[in-house]
Amino acid sequence: MGVLAQLIVSGISVGMIYAVIAFGYQLTFATSKTLNFGQGEALMLGALVGLTTVNFLIGASLGNLTAYLLMLPLVCLFGMAQGAAVEFLGVRQALRTKSDAGWIMATIALGIILRNAAEIIWGRDSLKFPSPLPESALSVGPVRIQPMEIAVVVGALLLMALVELFNRRSIYGKAVVATANDRDAAGLMGINTRLVITFSYALSSMAAAFAGVLVAPLTLTGASMGAVLGLKAFAVAIIGGLSSGVGVIVGGLILGITETLTGYYVSSGYKDVPGLILLLLVLSLKPSGIFGKAAIKKV
Amino acid sequence: MTARLVGATIGLLFTASLAWAADPVKIGLSGPFTGGSSAMGVSMRDGVKLAVDEINKAGGVLGGRPIQLVERDDQAKNEIGVQIAQELINKEQVAATIGYINTGVALASQRFYQEAEIPVMNCVATGSKVTKQFAAPDFEHNYVFRNAANDTIQSGMIAAEAITRQGFKKPAILADSSNYGQLGRADLTAALAKLSVTPVASEKFNVGDTDMTAQVLKAKEAGADVILTYAIGPELAQIANAMAKLGWKVPLIGSWTLSMSSFIDTAGANGEGAMMPQTFIQLPTTPKRKSFIEAYQKTYNIDRIPSPVSAAQGYDAVLLLAAAINQAKSTEGPKIREALENLQSKVEGVVTNYDHPYSAADHETVTDNIPVFGLVKGGRVVPAHPEDLEGDKALRLKTKS
Repeated sequence: MGVLAQLIVSGISVGMIYAVIAFGYQLTFATSKTLNFGQGEALMLGALVGLTTVNFLIGASLGNLTAYLLMLPLVCLFGMAQGAAVEFLGVRQALRTKSDAGWIMATIALGIILRNAAEIIWGRDSLKFPSPLPESALSVGPVRIQPMEIAVVVGALLLMALVELFNRRSIYGKAVVATANDRDAAGLMGINTRLVITFSYALSSMAAAFAGVLVAPLTLTGASMGAVLGLKAFAVAIIGGLSSGVGVIVGGLILGITETLTGYYVSSGYKDVPGLILLLLVLSLKPSGIFGKAAIKKV
Repeated sequence: MTARLVGATIGLLFTASLAWAADPVKIGLSGPFTGGSSAMGVSMRDGVKLAVDEINKAGGVLGGRPIQLVERDDQAKNEIGVQIAQELINKEQVAATIGYINTGVALASQRFYQEAEIPVMNCVATGSKVTKQFAAPDFEHNYVFRNAANDTIQSGMIAAEAITRQGFKKPAILADSSNYGQLGRADLTAALAKLSVTPVASEKFNVGDTDMTAQVLKAKEAGADVILTYAIGPELAQIANAMAKLGWKVPLIGSWTLSMSSFIDTAGANGEGAMMPQTFIQLPTTPKRKSFIEAYQKTYNIDRIPSPVSAAQGYDAVLLLAAAINQAKSTEGPKIREALENLQSKVEGVVTNYDHPYSAADHETVTDNIPVFGLVKGGRVVPAHPEDLEGDKALRLKTKS
């Protein structure tokens, strides 16, 4: 019993990271039906910028936790700027010319460029991220958990809740929802849909950058850290559905927990297989995702 | 007229011989100087440069020709290693190449040297197959040499240390899914089988995995009393950290990569006590080691060598190669190979002293009596059993078969 609980707890914290990144995919898909395939790189850049900031603040004789908290808004701002830049450089042209696939290549290309730039600036070594919380594990019943793992779950949920709240309550959020429902109609109502799309990209990269600084203290930070996470989060977005906020959370938890359970009960060599089988099943049985609304495409 | 012709000829000869005397001997150096393996690559490069500087200050090779290094960063990537091999052979026309940290890069790149009949000195890559790739009887001559402890030796040592010397009964193997990890896991399983021990768990993980809970938990639940590893620094640190998280402490014994600074620094307190085979530990146990360590610290202005094994083996590789070039009296590959296979002069190295280190059939300098076990303590690698390096046991010589 203790083992199962331990595996589920570890799976939850991994899964919540996938969920935050997948949430970012979903934000841009809602407004523009496009995705930023450089999400993994946005996460990596966020973590590296966060690392540099934290090291600078610790150098200025601040405590680890204070430095970490001060760094968070800066990394979020950086993520927004980075996302807006990706939209401006890679997606806007494709949308304007109604190109079906241009944005795919453009966002992948930008991701590669960003990764190479990060390799040049930060090197290709994996760097240790100073942990803002004590690294010794807490015992909760039979389960041992690191404080940072709890912070990952809480932080991820908090970020998603705030963005959802913003989208539902503020006037800008209403513009986002309007654009998501019908871009052309929203445009006719006087909403600057282009700006809304740029903004959704900014929010999307912000979520990824935030996920980067959440996961960094648990692992190592480096230019290649985003590739696997970005891909797994994409699977989560497909499983959960690209139009559902609850979907990405559930999808993330499903993938995270199946990974750790398979690693233990089946074989660590097959750890990634059940998640991908699930992905194929969802694609063939309910292509819009477990929680997704079936889209009716009028021709 | 005749006098002028003679004078011109003499002049021509003179300039030609001057150019000959100053003409450097080019040696290639290929290793990962950036990325996950860079601690090893950079230490190897610095060890190699130290030896080259010493040789050049003492007058170079072949009676006055300096050695010129052509350094290339292979980034631990097979395809880049191949490009570099072709560049060094065809464009730079090197007399020999020193290098390779990564077994995969070595296996992919060496074939070009074999075809061009240019010797390769592997001073770090440990895959058992590295020196066997072009071995007799399939090939007439083998141009691949090594002065590092290969995985057959290391896995045998790890099994002997865990089972025979320390008396553990239930080992669990944790290895990464790369060539290095999986070939090492096979070697380890075979070495354990010789001692009639079957591992209670044999787990795998991907390079870049962020959560090792499942693998470590499986070893724990299987009742393992020791963890044997075959992986590289960052993931090894994840294992140590996952063990600490689960509040489970058993000894960690593994391949020499547990001495990587990326493991020691990232795992911190959780990595203390990890043990691994080492051909060289940063301790002045012989006069040659003392002068090497002091020269390294002074030249590169650091206290702890990031990967002492790589630095020492890189240094020794240059000494062996220089001795062979001098004996061959030539920079032609076949002659250097012949000289290496029948090296007359004795070479005093950092890892050991070399007396006929290679033969046509044997291209390895390290036998299983040479490495000792190192132990991570206070962020450095110290001897696990200090008695192994006491007195005349400090210098361990190759056993003759």
